[in-house]
Amino acid sequence: MNRHLSAEEIASWLIGERSPQLERHMSECPACFAEAARMEAALAEFRGAVRDWSEGRVCSAWRPQTRSKTARWLLAAAAGLLVICGSYWEFRARQRAAEAALADALLLEQVDAQISRAVPEPMEPLVQLVSWNTNAVNAQKSGEMQ
Amino acid sequence: MPSAAESAEDLTDFEAVVRLHWPRVLRFAMASLRDRDAAESLAQDCFWKAYRARATFRGDASVGTWLMQIAVNLVRDYARNRRLQFWRRTCDFAVDFGAASRVVPDEGCSPERSVAAKERVAAVWAATRGLSERQRTVFLLRFVEDMDLLEIAAVTGLKEGTVKAHLFRALQAVRAQIGELK
Repeated sequence: MNRHLSAEEIASWLIGERSPQLERHMSECPACFAEAARMEAALAEFRGAVRDWSEGRVCSAWRPQTRSKTARWLLAAAAGLLVICGSYWEFRARQRAAEAALADALLLEQVDAQISRAVPEPMEPLVQLVSWNTNAVNAQKSGEMQ
Repeated sequence: MPSAAESAEDLTDFEAVVRLHWPRVLRFAMASLRDRDAAESLAQDCFWKAYRARATFRGDASVGTWLMQIAVNLVRDYARNRRLQFWRRTCDFAVDFGAASRVVPDEGCSPERSVAAKERVAAVWAATRGLSERQRTVFLLRFVEDMDLLEIAAVTGLKEGTVKAHLFRALQAVRAQIGELK
């Protein structure tokens, strides 16, 4: 092989596919050997740099999702507590709704009573006064007639 | 590579699986996404998916290959999310690309050689940035994770020939980028 190696032949050398012809050329051609060596050195430095860069970043955060018995019990207790709290809250909400309905009913009764009055409550003393006068006049009239 | 039966059995101790494979999954995610937080989230997702699906793991491939399959799919999903792509375009160079390029061992090197090494690492990073998601994945699996072509084919679901074609393209891009340093 008299010519220098092609880019593909250099690549084949670098990925480890080294035919006897390539081996022979490399041993006879200092230029191709130097080119391959330069690339190998760069790739080795790159490998070293990446490895050093990521070194030390060991699995600090990953933990398998295996819950202990205590954790399971705590989880079950928390779930139970949640159910109880939920039930109590629902009970209280219903109770409050019932109380509100009762208060509304009482209010409506009072309103009905007010509306159904012939005379408004503040004027009732006057009505009584008028009634009293009417009664007195009627009594006087009946006395005169007698 | 462990046998299929051993692999399926290995999943019973999932904590050990996480300890063993976390660095590789995280490294692949970080190199693919160039975003530390996103990579950690992706690694978490990867192991959660695996944990939930561990009962269905039949052991056709090794646990490592199976996990990398999940990680590759998650990276693909991530890349397809346009909203996240927007953020990636906006901020990746500013944060992790620079940080990763600075991480070159200095021991025993002269300052000039150290600078040259950093430039080469930066050039490779820059080249991977211009690759398609598939090319980048294949490139990282081969040259960072040291997987052979068959293993990459198993992880990505691609044919061996397609894997090789992606690698050739990626290497051409890297070579062109390195060539600019001359």
